[in-house]
Amino acid sequence: MKRVNTMLAAWTAATMLFLYLPIAILIGFSFNTSRLNIVWQGFTLEWYAAIWRDAVLVKSLENSLYIASVTTAISVVLGTAGAWLLYRYRFPGARMWQTLIFVPMLVPEVIMGVSLLIFFVVIHLELGFTSIVISHVTFCFPFVLVAVQARLAGLDPALEEAAMDLGATPVGAFRRVLVPYLMPAIISGALMSFTLSLDELIVTYFTASAGTRTLPLEIFGRVKKGLDPTLNAISTVFILFTAVLVVTTELLKRRGTSLASEPPQP
Amino acid sequence: MKRVPLFVAIVLAAALASTGCTKKAEAPNEINLFAWSEYVPQGVIDGFTAETGIRVNYETYASNEEMLAKLVSGAQKYDLIQPSEYTIEALIKEQRLQLVDWAKVPNFKNIGQEFKNLPHDPRQLYSVPWMAGSVGIVVNTDKIKEPITGYNDVFQEKHSGRIVVLDDPREIVSWALATVGKGPNDVTPQTLEQVKPILARWLPLVKVYDSDSPKTALLNGDVDLGIVWSGEAALLYAENEKFQYVLPAEGAHQFLDSLAIPIDAPNPIGAMAFMNYILRPEVSRLISADFPYTNPNLEARKLLEEPELDNPASYPPGNPKLTGFSDIGDSAVAIDKLVTDLKAKG
Amino acid sequence: MRQELTSFDGGTAIRQRRASPMAWLLAAPLFAWVVAFVVAPTLIMLVYSLCERGTLGGVVYHFTWENYAAVADPTYLNILVRSVVFSLVTTLACLVMGYPVAFYIGRAPEARRNLLLMLVMIPFWTSFLIRTYAWVTILKSEGLLNSVLLQVGMITQPFEMLYTPGAVILGLVYTFLPFMILPIYTSVEKLDNALIEAAFDLGAGPVRAFSKVIVPMTSPGITAGILLVFVPALGLYAVNDILGGGKVDMIGNIIENQFKGSARNWPFGAALGMTLVVAFAAALWYTGRRPRTA
Repeated sequence: MKRVNTMLAAWTAATMLFLYLPIAILIGFSFNTSRLNIVWQGFTLEWYAAIWRDAVLVKSLENSLYIASVTTAISVVLGTAGAWLLYRYRFPGARMWQTLIFVPMLVPEVIMGVSLLIFFVVIHLELGFTSIVISHVTFCFPFVLVAVQARLAGLDPALEEAAMDLGATPVGAFRRVLVPYLMPAIISGALMSFTLSLDELIVTYFTASAGTRTLPLEIFGRVKKGLDPTLNAISTVFILFTAVLVVTTELLKRRGTSLASEPPQP
Repeated sequence: MKRVPLFVAIVLAAALASTGCTKKAEAPNEINLFAWSEYVPQGVIDGFTAETGIRVNYETYASNEEMLAKLVSGAQKYDLIQPSEYTIEALIKEQRLQLVDWAKVPNFKNIGQEFKNLPHDPRQLYSVPWMAGSVGIVVNTDKIKEPITGYNDVFQEKHSGRIVVLDDPREIVSWALATVGKGPNDVTPQTLEQVKPILARWLPLVKVYDSDSPKTALLNGDVDLGIVWSGEAALLYAENEKFQYVLPAEGAHQFLDSLAIPIDAPNPIGAMAFMNYILRPEVSRLISADFPYTNPNLEARKLLEEPELDNPASYPPGNPKLTGFSDIGDSAVAIDKLVTDLKAKG
Repeated sequence: MRQELTSFDGGTAIRQRRASPMAWLLAAPLFAWVVAFVVAPTLIMLVYSLCERGTLGGVVYHFTWENYAAVADPTYLNILVRSVVFSLVTTLACLVMGYPVAFYIGRAPEARRNLLLMLVMIPFWTSFLIRTYAWVTILKSEGLLNSVLLQVGMITQPFEMLYTPGAVILGLVYTFLPFMILPIYTSVEKLDNALIEAAFDLGAGPVRAFSKVIVPMTSPGITAGILLVFVPALGLYAVNDILGGGKVDMIGNIIENQFKGSARNWPFGAALGMTLVVAFAAALWYTGRRPRTA
C-alpha cells in the first residue's frame, strides 16, 4: 500500500511537470527582449511595465474574469440541480433531455457561435455581457452536470432518506445532506466551467460586442503582429496571483482548521 | 447554514449580469468601428476622439468572412467596416454599402492614383483605401543560396518539408494559376482542372499551412521558404535581414483593405469624419509605424523614415505584377473542395 | 462503457420517483435553458443545413438536400474517421495518464485535495494560444526537447517532432487532461478507505486490487471523464493547426472553414455539424437503451 502510494505520488509529480513545462516556458519568455516571443534574446522587465500602459489588455482581462465568474456561478446551480433532479425523479423523456444537454459539448464552437448569434438576433437580445454569459453557461453547465452525475451514481439512498426522516423537505435534504456530499464534484465542475469560460475564443467572438472584448479575443487579435511578451507577462501575473491566493487560503484554513467548512471557490 | 449566503450571492451575481450591463448609454456622437484586430492604432482612435468629441467603439475581427457573418446577422449596426477588395466588391453587389460623400472627405486627394478606381470599386464611390499589401515569397538566404524568383522555384522536390504557405485555398490556387499564365480571378472548372496536377505535385512538399502566424515556422528554422503576407515578411525582415521578400515573377496577389460604410450605419457623418481624419498624412503615418504594410497615402509616405521605406516587404522595388482578388461567387466552393481533397490525399 | 453509460440517465437509481409538480418546477429552469439555448439554435442550424448558400455567408431559404449529399463524399468521411481516431487516442492517453493522478489526489489528506486540484487547473488559466506556442518552442527542431535529448546523447540529430500527428496528440492530451482528472477524482474521493485497504490486504496484489475493486467502483467517474474528453476533442481544431502545421484536416477544421474561410458555405458547414451531432446522439441513445440489468 505504501509502495503504491509512492508510485502514485511520483506519477502525479511527473504529470505536474508535464502540465507546468509549457507554463515555465511562457513565464520565461515574459522576460525576453525579443518582441516576437519565439527566440530567446535577453532579459528584460519591460513587458511587465508594458502591462500598465496597455489599458485595453487589462480591461479585457477584467471582462474575462467577470464573465468566467458569473458563468461559473450559474453553471454550478444549473448543473448541480439538474443532475440531482434527473437522478432523483423520473421525467418523461429523461434520456432525451440527457442527450440534449450533451449537445453543446459536441457542437463545434463556430456552429454554436453562429447559431447563438442568429438566435440572439431573433429574440432581440443586444450583444454584450448577457449574451456572452448565456452562451458560456450553455457549454459549461454540462461539465458540472456530468461531474455531479458521476458522484451521484451509486449514492446510498439511505443518506437522503435519513435526512428526510429528520423532517427535512426534499429541498432541505438536498441542501443539508446532498450538497456537502456532492461538494467535490461541484468544485470540480466549477473549476472546469471557470477554465472553459476564461479561455473561450470562438463562441465569444460571435456573441461579444465592442465593449465586451475578452482576453482570448484580444490575444488572438494580436497573433498577426506577433504575440508580444506583454501577453506572457499578464498571464504570469495572473497565475502567480492565483497561486499565491490559493496557497494562502489553504494555509489560513489549516491554521483555523475546524472553522473552515467552506471550500475555496475558484 | 453557511450555504445560504453563497446561494444568495450566486443569484445576485446572475441578476447583476443580466441587468447591470445591458443598458447602453445612447450617446449621440459615437461611431461603431468594426475592423481587423490591431489594425487601428489606439493613438489614432484617441486622437480622433480628442479632436472631434466622437467616441469610437472599436470591435475587431480576424477574417473578412468573420466580419461578414456578424455584419449580415444584423446583431449590431456598424458605421465603419474594413473589408478587403474582393469583399468590398461582394458588398457593393449586394447593395450593402453607402456612397461616400467626398465633399466630407477632402483628404482623399492624398491617396495615390494606382489605388483609386480599382476593379472592386471602379468608380470609387464606396471605399477609402486603408493599407495595401501583397502575398509573396520569403526566403531564408542563410539556408537557400540559389535565387528564388517565382512559385516554381519554391515548389521543388529539394525543398520538400522546408516550406510554409498560407492556409488559404484561394491563395494557394491563385499561385498555381499564375504559373500557367492565368490571373487569380480566372477561376473556372477548366482552369481548376488545369492546375489540379500542379497542386497535386506542390502540396506534398509543404510542411506547414498557417495563415495566422507563418513567421513562427520561419523564425524557428523549421522551414526555409514561405509564401506569406507581406506584413509577416516585413516583421521577419525587421527581426533578421536574412529573410528576403520576393514578389513572384509570375504575378502576385495585392490585397487592399479599405474603409467603407454599411448601408444601415447609424452615424455615417461621423464615419466620414473618421475617414477624413485617418487620411491626414501625420495620422496615416502613425498607422504605417504600427503596421508595416504598403501605405496608399502618398503624402504620408513622404513622412516615413529610410528604414521603413527600404523594407522590401512594405515597398517592393521594381515593377511587380500585382492583381487584386475579385469576388468569384460559387467558384470559391469548388476551390475549397479541390484543396481539401488534395490535402487529404497528401 | 455501455454499462457505465446507463448510469447517466439515472437508470441505475433504485428509488427514482415520478416527477412531482415540485420537481417539475425545480427542473423548469434547466429545461427552459436547454430548449432556448440548445434546441432552438440547433434547429436554426438544421434549417440552415437544408438551405442554399448565401453570397455573403448566411443562407438563401431554398430547400435542398445537396449539402448532405456533399457530406457523404469519401474525403469528408475519411476526415471524420480520422478525427474520431485522434479523439479516441487522446481519450485513452488522458485516461492512462490521468487516472493515477486523480486517484492520488482523491486519497490525499482532505486538506490538501483542493490545493492539488487547483494545481492541476491553474496552467489552463493562461491563454490557449500562448500555451500552445510554448509547446512549439519545446518541440521545434532546434527546440528545448531536442537540445536536451542531444545533450544526453539519446539522439545524434534533431528529431522531427513538431508538425507531426504525434505533436497533435500531445497537444490534445495536454489540453484535455484536467477534464479526465477532475471527474475521476470525484469518484475516487468517495471511496471508503477501509475498502481500499481490504482490497490490498486480501493479498490480491495492487494490480488486481485496482482492476477488480477500485476501477469498477470509480467507473462513473471514468465514464464521465471519457465523455468530457472524447466529445470536445472531436471538434477541436486549433491544436491541429498550430502543432500539426494544418497539414491534415480534422472535421473541426473543415467545419470552421465553411464559416470563416473564403468558401463561406454555411449550409454545408451546418450539414457537417448536424451529421456529427446526430451520429453522436444516436450512439448515446443506443448505449443508453441497453437493458438495465443491475
